[in-house]
Amino acid sequence: MTAAVATRADSSRRIAPRGDAVLGLLMVAPIVVTMLALVIVPLGQTMWDSLHRINPMQAGTPFIGAGNYVRMLSDSDVGLAWINTVIYVAIAVSVEMVVGILAAALINQVKVGRQWILAAVILPWALPGVVNSVIWLFIYQPGAGLLNAILVAFGLPFENHVWFNDRTSAMLAVVVVHIWRMLPLTIVIVLAAMQSIPLHLYEAAHIDGATRPQMFFTITLPLIGSAVAVAMTNATVAAFNIFDEAWVLAGANLGTRPILVQIYLETFQNLRFSYGMALSLVLTAISLLVSLVFVLRFYRTTRFD
Amino acid sequence: MQPGLLQRIITSIGIAVLLIWSLGPIYWTLVSSVTPSADFSLRPINFFPREFTFDHFLRLLGINVERIGGVLVWEQFRVALFNSVATSLLATVFCVAIAALGGYAFARLDFPGKRVVFLVVVATLAIPGYAVLIPLYRLMISLKWIDTYLGITLIYVSAYLPLTLWLMRSVFDSLPVSLEEAAQLDGAGRLRIFFSIVLPLVGPGLTAAAILTFLGAWGQYLVPLVFSPKVTKPLTVLIPEFVTKNFIDYGLITASGSIAILIPALVVIFLNRYLVTGLLAGSVK
Repeated sequence: MTAAVATRADSSRRIAPRGDAVLGLLMVAPIVVTMLALVIVPLGQTMWDSLHRINPMQAGTPFIGAGNYVRMLSDSDVGLAWINTVIYVAIAVSVEMVVGILAAALINQVKVGRQWILAAVILPWALPGVVNSVIWLFIYQPGAGLLNAILVAFGLPFENHVWFNDRTSAMLAVVVVHIWRMLPLTIVIVLAAMQSIPLHLYEAAHIDGATRPQMFFTITLPLIGSAVAVAMTNATVAAFNIFDEAWVLAGANLGTRPILVQIYLETFQNLRFSYGMALSLVLTAISLLVSLVFVLRFYRTTRFD
Repeated sequence: MQPGLLQRIITSIGIAVLLIWSLGPIYWTLVSSVTPSADFSLRPINFFPREFTFDHFLRLLGINVERIGGVLVWEQFRVALFNSVATSLLATVFCVAIAALGGYAFARLDFPGKRVVFLVVVATLAIPGYAVLIPLYRLMISLKWIDTYLGITLIYVSAYLPLTLWLMRSVFDSLPVSLEEAAQLDGAGRLRIFFSIVLPLVGPGLTAAAILTFLGAWGQYLVPLVFSPKVTKPLTVLIPEFVTKNFIDYGLITASGSIAILIPALVVIFLNRYLVTGLLAGSVK
């Protein structure tokens, strides 16, 4: 009896636990079934299958242990795709962080119509990535493209410049589209953190004679640290998983191909199913590890006192 | 602490650059979608349209196509538009419904395994879709669910369930229990309380969850590229097909792009407040 009373006191926020167990299980059953069938079991299968040789063109599915993992170490296409991916991640994350924080600080200055500016800024994020890529493909066109037209309007010799002939400019063209789509997320996260900083901190600094840049570096930046970590994690995972932009703009081109395009080609063109699975597990692990580093490095409990 | 004049000029210029960067490509798409095909070869390019035409949209929707001629795509396009709307809406309805039921159970009810199940489901946020793509592909083939609405909808539901569940549970957690307790004293059952008292209170949370799921499903590319190759092909898979190696129909691309971005744009313009709430709740995992 006392035990029963004690348990009820423990779960004081909850009301009448009798019958709840059955109802609770029934209410979460759809989630459990869906996630088990479509995520957890397939993930386990990916792990198990990555240790086998699975190729519809070859008979049998022999166990090959770490064979797929060893193979990717000496696969030059995979190596190049990794280098491309790391370049994309480095450019995308650093630009999104620097420009995102500056843009959030700018929007934070605006008093009138801020929600409309924010809506306009969020828009690219909400659009389908592949449609963005098609739009930018049109902008990058040598003949009818907007980019060359603007450069020509400034008197530069870009009438028929082809942006995808050279690896550097092709990669930049791809990463610009990715940044266009992902920058809004950084802005939204950082802006929310900036808006939660109490105004009296700035007023006090103002009385002490601090300039605006000083306030930005001594008050704003330290207090948005954890939001920046969150934004950076999102940006990193998104950049490691870059696919739509690279695939639509440059297709299977080896010079611009990120690792996810490589996985797609290995799996659905070369039909090396288990090799694709091993690669996708490595990609998942690496993007999570890098994110973890950011979280540990930048995340701290934000205090306003 | 009034900003000085210089300060305000810098802010205005910065905001203007930000707006041009964000909206410029969208403006260019809309302008190009109403540009007559012949004008695409004009040099120098006009930044503002010289002449208007709705021919590209008519071609896409199959209205008066005989007059315009050119490539016939309207049958494909109508189906793809329907497929995009249908799969995104179905996924949204199922995902939000399942997440609301489950979110309430995780927030208010006691049942065995509660904590573990919630942790495992939310942890799958960290697993990108492609890590389960191939087993899912083989599962869908064995069930003969490739290229069916059921198959693609279920995949979207499983992809957005962790995020919506997380969102819904935090919404229910933030509601005061007192209302439910009062209703219970009046003799209302659990489900009755859930449907007639709790659900009406979490409209904004449901909206935020629905927006995130809808936009996510609407923008999917790699998943339908694999799982919706023909009958259920959505806009995102159809539109890149207009770009072929030897021929690019700028009018078709920009008009179809305009239609594909119209619906997300309306969501952002009218439901921005909910979207931002959802984004923040979703990103601060």
